[in-house]
Amino acid sequence: MSTTRRKIMSNALGMAFAALTSTILTLPAVAQNATQALSSESVIETIKKEGVIRIGLSIFSPWSMRDINGELIGFELDVGRALAKDMGVDVEFLPTAWDGIIPQLMSGNFDVIISGMSITPARNLTVNFSNPYAYSGLTVLANTAMTAGFALKDYNSADVTFAARRGATPATVIATLFPEATLLLFDEDGAATQEVLNGNAHATMGAEPTPSIEARRYADTLSVPFDQTFLATGEGFALRKGDPDALNFFNNWIAVRHANGWLKERNDYWFKGNDWESQVTQ
Amino acid sequence: MPSPKKLCWLDWLILTILVGIIGYVALRIGGTLNYEWRWELIPDYIIRYREDREEWFANLLLQGLFATIRISIYASVLALVLGTILGIARCADNLTVRLLARTYLEILRNIPPVVIIFIFFFFLSQQLIDAMNLNAWSRDIARSDAAPVWEFFFGDMRRFTSLISGVIVLAMFEAAFVGEIVRAGIQSVPKGQREAARAIGMSPGQEMRYIVMPQALRKVVPPMANQFISLIKDSSIISLISVQELTYKTVELVASTRMIFEAWITTAAFYFILCFGLSMLFRRFEKS
Repeated sequence: MSTTRRKIMSNALGMAFAALTSTILTLPAVAQNATQALSSESVIETIKKEGVIRIGLSIFSPWSMRDINGELIGFELDVGRALAKDMGVDVEFLPTAWDGIIPQLMSGNFDVIISGMSITPARNLTVNFSNPYAYSGLTVLANTAMTAGFALKDYNSADVTFAARRGATPATVIATLFPEATLLLFDEDGAATQEVLNGNAHATMGAEPTPSIEARRYADTLSVPFDQTFLATGEGFALRKGDPDALNFFNNWIAVRHANGWLKERNDYWFKGNDWESQVTQ
Repeated sequence: MPSPKKLCWLDWLILTILVGIIGYVALRIGGTLNYEWRWELIPDYIIRYREDREEWFANLLLQGLFATIRISIYASVLALVLGTILGIARCADNLTVRLLARTYLEILRNIPPVVIIFIFFFFLSQQLIDAMNLNAWSRDIARSDAAPVWEFFFGDMRRFTSLISGVIVLAMFEAAFVGEIVRAGIQSVPKGQREAARAIGMSPGQEMRYIVMPQALRKVVPPMANQFISLIKDSSIISLISVQELTYKTVELVASTRMIFEAWITTAAFYFILCFGLSMLFRRFEKS
């Protein structure tokens, strides 16, 4: 934190100094110094200098998870490795508890968060987001017996209970779509699904293919009642504020990978198919 | 009062009722808990044979257990040092020193550990690590040839700073309690001993070193051993700041495989074996 803060301080000092001296010095020269300072302090420069990009993520299948050998696999890992390869640096993934992921970014523990983080105004006040690199389609996973004969609007009732992971996108989407329903929050997805299984909650929401996998595993109890997916705002890389160079680089990297279809192909592999399932649960 | 080793009818009655209650609870859980048990997958996440490398390796849960053991050892050494200083400060003649030590202790005793851990992590250990530039240093080691030696002591060197901040945070937290134990030990040394030390012309430093501390330390060994065991249990809290110890690895395993109950029960068993084993060991030491 101290280095970041010092940089911000020196930046602010530099700008104040620039404002003071602009009457004496010629303006273009000062502006040039300021831009040079800005670009040399970009996280992109730090990554190049240290030869490693540090990516923060939180375990959240199928975005990122531990395989049977305890190693990290998932959509984010593919994205992170491709990003590092294009930058010509090593990659280091730092699994982090979801609650602490933004504070850890702010304190400089990693360079960028690539962890299926949805772009929300509240988060955007604290961190900068790149353009979306994925759009997760959320579906409802319901307890079949408890929601028999329910239409979509029936879920929006005070008698209906939803379960979801605290601070994650599904929780926000549920609160928006079904404002009347009661929402139970848990630390991770497994517990939320278990509540639906045990009949303590009517339904939960999640990014495909997880709801479909769970519905297959507990075919007697769970079902995915609607084909419809509910779009979140899209997921972006999160980075520290005040770094236009990094934002530009990540945006264009995502644009290129969108254009050549690579992001879609990887997205389909992890979110639509289930070829990878054997790597996780045997 | 004599304590008979033979079970009488009352013992049998209590045991029967207990078994009945446990059986009933188990039956209820079996009836209402809709859960597909997959115990057969757990051994693989403890230790597994990798076909591609043809070797056995410690998987997530065992890695986590090793990390917990490492962290507990380092943190308790650090807590012992800090705690001894704190304990001596609590009995100091200087008022400011005494008040400062008391303040530290009261603050730590009256704030929940989770909150303390977050505050220490973001405001203290983070600064310390940045100031010493530990990140770059540990990464250099991870890339060098000497990595295996370091990894034996500290685990993955790429996560070294996270381990260190975990150790610092935990030690600062436990130091308060170690300090209280040390203070109680010092104060349990009879006043006559200290007066005698002064009478033969010892300085306060000598008095502490040769007369008070040797007697005090002997008295604090049993409570200190207890504190060490409770430190192992408290170490699970630092999973919140993403230190890769047993609890954190279990969270990851649950998030990846959804084996909620199997994973947590296994982890509970690991903690129990570790702590109960140590407690038996310490008891044996105390007797001999």
